[in-house]
This record gives sequence, C-alpha cells and structure tokens, in this order.
Amino acid sequence: MIEVTSLKKSFEQIEVLKSIDFTVNKGEVVCLIGPSGSGKTTLLRCLNLLETPDAGTITIGNSTVSFNTILKKREIKELRQYSGMVFQGFHLFPHKTVIENLVTAPITVKKGDKATIQQKSEQLLEKVGMSEHKNKYPDALSGGQQQRAAIARALVMEPEVMLFDEPTSALDPQLVREVLKVIEGLANEGQTMVIVTHEMNFAKRIADKILFMDEGYIVEQGEGNQVITNPQQQRTKEFLSLLEED
Amino acid sequence: MFEWFSSIQWEYLYDFELAIDSLPFLLEGLRITMIIAFFSMIFSLILGIFLGVARMSKLWFIRWPARIYISFMRGTPLLVFIFILYYGLPVIGIEFTSAVVAGIVGVSLNFAAYSAEVVRSSIMSVPRGQWEAAASLQMNYVQTMTKIIIPQATRIALPPTFSIFMDVVKGTSLASVITVQELLYSARLVSGRTYDSMTMYITAALIYWVVCIVIGYFQNRLEKRYNRYLSDTH
Ligand SMILES: Nc1ncnc2c1ncn2[C@@H]1O[C@H](COP(=O)(O)OP(=O)(O)O)[C@@H](O)[C@H]1O
Ligand SMILES: [Mg+2]
Repeated sequence: MIEVTSLKKSFEQIEVLKSIDFTVNKGEVVCLIGPSGSGKTTLLRCLNLLETPDAGTITIGNSTVSFNTILKKREIKELRQYSGMVFQGFHLFPHKTVIENLVTAPITVKKGDKATIQQKSEQLLEKVGMSEHKNKYPDALSGGQQQRAAIARALVMEPEVMLFDEPTSALDPQLVREVLKVIEGLANEGQTMVIVTHEMNFAKRIADKILFMDEGYIVEQGEGNQVITNPQQQRTKEFLSLLEED
Repeated sequence: MFEWFSSIQWEYLYDFELAIDSLPFLLEGLRITMIIAFFSMIFSLILGIFLGVARMSKLWFIRWPARIYISFMRGTPLLVFIFILYYGLPVIGIEFTSAVVAGIVGVSLNFAAYSAEVVRSSIMSVPRGQWEAAASLQMNYVQTMTKIIIPQATRIALPPTFSIFMDVVKGTSLASVITVQELLYSARLVSGRTYDSMTMYITAALIYWVVCIVIGYFQNRLEKRYNRYLSDTH
C-alpha cells in the first residue's frame, strides 16, 4: 500500500529526514513515535506532498513518484489522491458549516453527483458522532468535535491511506478519548492508517506496526506493540523511559 | 480667553438660512462628488485586487512593477498626482476631455495602491493551515483561492476597505483644484459670493460626514454578515 525508499528532506542546511525506508500493507495501522523534532511531521507531510522530498521514492496505492528527477504537477496530484491528512490543529474551514466542510472538496474536485456526496457525508458524520452538529460552524464546536469533523472531511475523499499527525495533541485531556475512539473504529474497519502519536497506550492497542523515529532516522520498527513493550535500541528505551516519568 | 469668547459674533458663525438656500446648489456638487467617488471605489478595488495579487507573485517581473507602482502611489500626494495628470500630461499630448474623468482616473489609480495592500495583507493573514487542508483534499490553486481563501480574506479586508472608500469620498474634494465642480468647489463658489466661509464649509463638511455615515452603515451590515460564522466570544 505504501512503500517509501531512501526518502530525504532538508530545510536549508538542516537535514530533517536522512534516508527513510518503510512499508505499510493494506489494512495496517502503523504508529509513528519519537521525540519532538525527530521529523515525524515532516515525514507525514512528505507522504501527502505538502513538503516535496529531496530524494527517494514514495509509492502509495497505484502511484509511484521518484524525487530523484524533477517532479511534475500531475504526479503530485496523482500521488496525493491516495492519502488523506488529519492535522494536529484540525484546520477546518471556519467559514463553512460542518457538512459544508465535508462536501466542498468532493463537489469541487470530483465534480460528482451532489445528492450522493451529501448522503455519503451525512453517513460519515454519523460514523464520527457529529450528525447533530452538522449545521454548526467550527467556531461553535469543542476541539474534539472539530477533530472528528476533520477526520470525516478527510474520509469523504475515500483515501486509501489516512495520515494522522498527533490528532489529539491540541486537545484538552477529557476530549482525547472521543477522538481516539473514532480512530480505533476506523482501524477495526480495516482502514489503512499512519498515525503520529504520543499516546503510548493507544499505540499499543491499535498498532499493527510501530516505527520509532529519532533525528531523521527510523531507529527501530517492530510488529504489533513490540517496540513499546520490548524495545531493542538504547535510544528507544531512553525515549520510552522519559515518557513514563510524566 | 474670555475676551475672545465674548467677542465672537454668534450670528455669523452659522447662517441657517444661507445653508438651506444654498443646499440645492451644494447637492448638485455632491452629485458630481458621488459620481467620481462611485467609479473610483469600483476601479480602485478592481485594480487593487490585480495589483495585490501581482505583488505576491513568484515571478519578479510581475511582482516588481506592482511593488514600484504601490510604493510610488503611497509615497506621493494625490493632489500632486492629479496635477500631473491634468496639467502635466497635455505636454506629451494626452489631454483629458473632462476634468471629471481626470478626477476619476487620478483618485482610482492612487487608491488602487492602498487597496492592493489591503488585498495582500488580508490574503496573507489567512492561516497557512487553510491552504494545506485544501491541498490535502486535492483542491488546486484556483479552487483553494475561490472557495477557501478569498471568502476568509474578504472578512478581514472589510474594515480597511471601507476606510479606503471613505478616504475616496474625501479625496474627491481634491478634484476641485482642477475645476471639477464637486461639493467643495460648489461650497467655495457660494462662500466667495457671500463671504460666509464658515457656514458654507461647515455645511460641506456635514454633507461629507453624512455620506461617510451611510458608507459606515453598509460596512456594519456586511461585517455582520461575514462574521456570522464566529461565535460570540470573538
Ligand atoms: N518548514 C520548515 N522549515 C525549516 N525547518 C523545519 C520546517 N519544518 C520542520 N522543520 C524542522 O525540522 C525538524 C523536524 O520537525 P518535525 O518534522 O516537525 O518533527 P516532529 O514532528 O517529530 O516534532 C525540526 O528541527 C524543525 O525545526
Ligand atoms: Mg510534529
């Protein structure tokens, strides 16, 4: 489903991603953990092409893009259609109601049948428990509600892979659960996902594979929750022990 | 202080009768003022949008001319620019058939620069996350601009744009120096005839004020409409 090889990305002088390789199979949930500044967000943004990698290749779905040659606009468009992104800060469109947030992109981009899109959007809102809020503006919602709406908005484009960048980091503690529950629901339905998270218990429960990143490398990866329950690398152990201290 | 105060001849301060009598004449001047103001608002806004977008272009040969234009217009008095247009350009064979047209051109070209700055700053004040969310939903530049960015930028641009509109109305008074018979020119004519400057200029000032109050009313209504998506805490 996803195959990343030798992916590199620098900002000016700083090398943020130093040769990243990993694969994600269809239906898998992969959790990406690691200290702040290790490059997790950058990696996720590269998958969605919000950042353009400097070198390497990315395959998602049926589309492979090599960054060793000059990138074409059409390639960006093609690769991007296979992934949907959920941001730490939600980024709902504030001038649109919840339901408008969902239908805008499919109506403008896919130019599909409006009634069908509307119906599908309402079903997705039902799924994330936001039906009763569908006519509200984002500003009138709690952070947890906004994030659930943002998840539905990404899902409406029917991406093969959902990318989550710390989806609960901006939330008050009591709102975290409702969002994690929605994501777990998606996992149970077999949605392929890559999730950057600091919620270790959540990662242990949900992950089919965990990747630990540090200083631009994937330092360690393992099936199930092994990376957390039985870390092999020194740096992983240090990272996990620091988390436990909180 | 007291002497000065008691020496004022209050009956000369404001002559209601004269004000009422000359009102039809002043309102004829206001009609010209409003014609210049109306077209200048429209032209300066349209030109301002193009200039503002050009100013943000990645291409230097689009960005730099826009920058220089904006810098020149913001850095020179409108009055001087109007003189250049009306008295200067005939030297190179460009002559305005009507002073009103020259006034519209002068005011429009000048205020377009201010509009451009408003356009640019309000587009830039829409958070980057909005662009990224739209991109991740596969929307292209034009779709993102029209559906996501411009509606939000418009809300931000409303107050400063209406300030410009008010400045445009007041700026049209400068057209009086090139013999356009607008509101200020009319007031000056009457005051020259009656030697009652105070009454005539106060009346003119009040009329400008009323026009700006009406503009402010429309600003208020539009702002309410564009703010409806924000909850009361803002
Ligand atoms: N747009 C950018 N320009 C310059 N540096 C950046 C940019 N984005 C991220 N970085 C740098 O890249 C490094 C990794 O950032 P990030 O991918 O956000 O890490 P993480 O998500 O793991 O905390 C940081 O040192 C950060 O300062
Ligand atoms: Mg991050």
